[in-house]
Amino acid sequence: MTTAASDSATTPEPGAAEVPRPSVTLQVLLSNEFGLAALIAVAVVIFATSLPGFTSPFSLFTLSRQIGIDTMIGLAMMAVIVTGGLDLSVGAIGACAAMFFGFGLEQLGLPLPVAIVFALLLGAGLGAINGITVVRSGVHSFIITLASMSIFFGVMIYLTQAKGFNGLPPGVAAFGRMKLVGPVSVLLVTTLAVCAGLLVLYRFTALGRQMLSAGANARAAELSGIEVGRTLIFCHALTGALAALAGLMLTARTGAAVPSMAGHLGQDWLLPAFLAPVLGGTLLTGGRVSVIGTLLGATFVTVITSGLLLMRVSEFWVQAFLGLMLLAAVLIDKARHTLLRRRGMI
Amino acid sequence: MRQSLAIRLLDNDWAGPGLISLMAIAVISILQPAFLSPFNILVLLSAIAVNMVVALGQLVIIGVGQMNLALGALGGLVAICFVGAIEVLGVPAPLAIVLGLLIGIVAGMANGVIIARTGISAFIITLASLQIFKGINLGITKAQPFYGVPDSVKQFGNTAVFGSIPWLILPAVLGAFCLWYLFRHLRIGRYILALGGNRQAAELSGIDTTGTVIWAHALSGLFAAAAGMMLVARLQIGQPTIGDDWLISSFAAPVIGGASLSGGHVSVAGTFFGVVIIAIITQALVLFSIDPFVVQIVLGGLILWAVGINRFREWRLSKLAIQGA
Amino acid sequence: MASILEIRHVSKSFPGVKALDDVSISLAAGSVHALLGENGAGKSTLIKIITGVQAPDAGEVLFDGASMRFSKPREAGACGIGVVHQERNLVMRFSVAENIMLDRLGAHSLSRVDHTAIADEAVRWLKMLDLDIDPGTPVSRLSVAQMQLVEIGKALSLRSRVLLLDEPTASLTPNESAALFAIIRKLKADGVAILFVSHKLEEVFGICDTVTVLRDGRNVCDSVPLAGLNRQDVVKMMIGRAEQLARRAPRSKPAASPLLELRGYSSDAGHRDVNLTVRPGEIVGLYGLVGAGRSELAKSVLGLSRQTGGEVLLNGQAVHITSVASALHHHGIGYVSEDRKGEGLILLHSVLDNAGITIWQRLASRFGLLHDATVAREVGPVIAKLEVKTPSLQQTIGNLSGGNQQKVSVAKWIAAGVKLLIIDEPSVGIDIKTKAYLHDLIHELAGRGTAILLITSDMPEMVDVADRILVMDRFRIKGEVENDRVYERVSQAIMTFIHDRKAA
Repeated sequence: MTTAASDSATTPEPGAAEVPRPSVTLQVLLSNEFGLAALIAVAVVIFATSLPGFTSPFSLFTLSRQIGIDTMIGLAMMAVIVTGGLDLSVGAIGACAAMFFGFGLEQLGLPLPVAIVFALLLGAGLGAINGITVVRSGVHSFIITLASMSIFFGVMIYLTQAKGFNGLPPGVAAFGRMKLVGPVSVLLVTTLAVCAGLLVLYRFTALGRQMLSAGANARAAELSGIEVGRTLIFCHALTGALAALAGLMLTARTGAAVPSMAGHLGQDWLLPAFLAPVLGGTLLTGGRVSVIGTLLGATFVTVITSGLLLMRVSEFWVQAFLGLMLLAAVLIDKARHTLLRRRGMI
Repeated sequence: MRQSLAIRLLDNDWAGPGLISLMAIAVISILQPAFLSPFNILVLLSAIAVNMVVALGQLVIIGVGQMNLALGALGGLVAICFVGAIEVLGVPAPLAIVLGLLIGIVAGMANGVIIARTGISAFIITLASLQIFKGINLGITKAQPFYGVPDSVKQFGNTAVFGSIPWLILPAVLGAFCLWYLFRHLRIGRYILALGGNRQAAELSGIDTTGTVIWAHALSGLFAAAAGMMLVARLQIGQPTIGDDWLISSFAAPVIGGASLSGGHVSVAGTFFGVVIIAIITQALVLFSIDPFVVQIVLGGLILWAVGINRFREWRLSKLAIQGA
Repeated sequence: MASILEIRHVSKSFPGVKALDDVSISLAAGSVHALLGENGAGKSTLIKIITGVQAPDAGEVLFDGASMRFSKPREAGACGIGVVHQERNLVMRFSVAENIMLDRLGAHSLSRVDHTAIADEAVRWLKMLDLDIDPGTPVSRLSVAQMQLVEIGKALSLRSRVLLLDEPTASLTPNESAALFAIIRKLKADGVAILFVSHKLEEVFGICDTVTVLRDGRNVCDSVPLAGLNRQDVVKMMIGRAEQLARRAPRSKPAASPLLELRGYSSDAGHRDVNLTVRPGEIVGLYGLVGAGRSELAKSVLGLSRQTGGEVLLNGQAVHITSVASALHHHGIGYVSEDRKGEGLILLHSVLDNAGITIWQRLASRFGLLHDATVAREVGPVIAKLEVKTPSLQQTIGNLSGGNQQKVSVAKWIAAGVKLLIIDEPSVGIDIKTKAYLHDLIHELAGRGTAILLITSDMPEMVDVADRILVMDRFRIKGEVENDRVYERVSQAIMTFIHDRKAA
């Protein structure tokens, strides 16, 4: 035990529970989700009034499609951040699953639903391999998934010889263009359904609670009778499955499965994957998630990005801007915490 | 206290990778004599020189118990700033080199200041700065290379001092020696390792932890900048994609060299052999005309293998220490 | 005697609690001063103020008669106040010399470290401590006792005139402790003022000259000579009442057949030939010093380390437990950890989640669905019965007091309805009222037929609660003491078993 822990353990704190707590309304107003929602509203109002193209049906459609995909990538990372770990291989897994999907449809002639299921299973399987290696070796997930991102991507690119699958059935691309409820892309609806599923998982199931406990304090969870190793492997497998789903959604958008969809080694997914959960208030140290926050985080990023692009800012500078946004997000969050703690509000 | 042979062997970081390097060289040169041709050696040593400097940039940060995802992005940014300054602004090459190194140091320090002052994980801060550096790089170049590399720089990157020893080896050797000396003999090196080894002990002893972290990141930025400019010399062109593929190898080499990822323990010699092993394997794949895509698989496999070996060594050492006590 | 360090009327508050209230203490050169108090009495806060980790809200710190205001540990160190913390603060891969001289490796960042000069300087302090080791040896190769001496050397090398030792004997064997005391006496003769913080009263009476006792953040006594006091006086000052002797009548011996029985048990963790039985309704105490292997035995039985020999019988059936999950769900065994914040609770989560964690699996529906209300129905009554003071079940448990946290970490096993409950150091960091309450609770649980294995280093607690006491030392059971609640006799019998090894 560290000094800090033992000292606070021996400090009497009988009055701690009686410190006045902020009201529920105040807590909602101070929450990450509310702040993000307000920021999104402000951004939308500014862009809608100043950029004529922003509210066109096509713009809203592409916006909703992008929100759907970026949220899914963020959710994939969120599912493993729960454990206090991370998964650098999400992009590689997404690309692997998408390529396998294309291979299944084009070369094996699998029916669409079967190909989807197989691709998701492959993602879950690759995630589980990460999980098993992390749990068995006791090495931090950073270095394990750094290695597996190289291996997964290497095997995929070796098998496909870096060639994409362009002759997918027309249904795939049609799904990517499909709209539900006005201009809203079906991809966003898919993502919303997954969000609902994850909300149920973390709030209303034993497995979800076990995931959060194992992530917050693995030792305490284990001593309370939770099978921590198995639970962590589940988390990694869930990450893999969600990354695979994101890969499929991207395939539907482009209408083809291309190995470079997530960049070299799948590195291009890393920023959206961390940006959305971190903006949304998911703790990097594990044990606390916000599904809605991740959705709002991805929405905010996408709204800002498309607004900037409509303003004819070069996409390269937008990339730098997103990095600044991540930096600003963690710095503001840190400052907010310090301030609230000083005022005794948390 | 008497040290048993077992402990000494297990405690040695570079003997294992060194032995493997030698064996790999022997096996490959028997199978493929062209491997030891003067030209091939020159190519091999050039690759080793650049990768060594890249690995040193990560090694410093591993020593302090953190990670630097932005290493490659910073290397790339310095590379295009270096050529850009010469081509667009007409800055003389030596001055451009100094400018490049300064950019590296300042950018690294910026990372260090934010990490040390806020206590936010180095992972997330360097992920953000990766994106910023890369974005600036592409914003300046619009993803198009600079071609105006002066002849002196091109020559430095592609000629030999004598025999098969390329000029590029010079900065690599200098950097490796300086870092080895720093970790072994200079106060800042010892403080970096003390901080990585036991943060609380370092703090309670009154070591300036903030300053130490900033130093480590400034050094990392310096190495990233040097490696970026060395690659410009080697490629003879200011490619905006320089640094994109450094991430995996920058961790692989130190880990193969026995560095502990929790910090406090690094080996410059071990890292050197890590770089050599990676270079030999990459070269061998080309020589035996094996699919170059296999390199990624092998690199990932090497990291896992090295992590496994390091765990095993730590475990054996602790067992032996208990028996010895 | 001239005092070197004087703390005068110091107060320190944290949000919601006054940790120190008008506390004074004065340390004289060439004397050993005991700082005593129960967990939570304010000792650690006082130590933090002396070492400059925290600044006091009111009052003053006088060093050599001059008023000081430390805001960093470095400033206290520069003044000549050396500290040896309870846990080791060494860089394992560095040499002994470098660890001793860590803050003096050079004038600036790029100074060359003069290894010879550092080794020479280190040897001086090692000699003073009669520590015959090569200063170039990596610290990782030293024994725990040697590491502690290296830390003392490090503190002394700062020319410390005040040396603060926080629980220095917690992980030492009696022989090593005796050697340490010899060194303390030597330092005292050299004029160092030593502040000795310990729970072990035998040691305090053996080595200390003066004593300060804290209770509830206030001075009970301020730097009085120990000579006029006996053990009873000191205990009375610490806990505010006389040591309770035979407060509870010895309980009748349960006749049921054993619930848990270990026969010739040995484990990967280092246990050898352990025999132990616990019957339903029985409270078996397991006494031993820190590091005797008691918590390790509990965790080994739960399946956290491998069994290498002997038998584990549950209700007479040989079993092989491989995980805590199966210990709980198949065998009904629960474990209240001594490390409440690290192993017992998930501080980030709510009271409800912490108390319900053991029953999620049982309560979940066929599809794994589980609603808060379902858990609250089971957990609520237990939380209410244990009088846990919390605004609601949704409250983050990290915000509750230590005592209430401890109640929740017991509540989760009551909710799970375990048949055997292993309780490890139940009263660390909790107030006296809760402690008494927990003792009553343990008796009540046993009265309802739960088998209890109680691990504690707190002798009065052991004598007050257990039916019979097993004594563990160096991962073996040394003997058994029948507890008739006669403190002097029982504690004497226990200490005889432990000190046995000195002769051996």
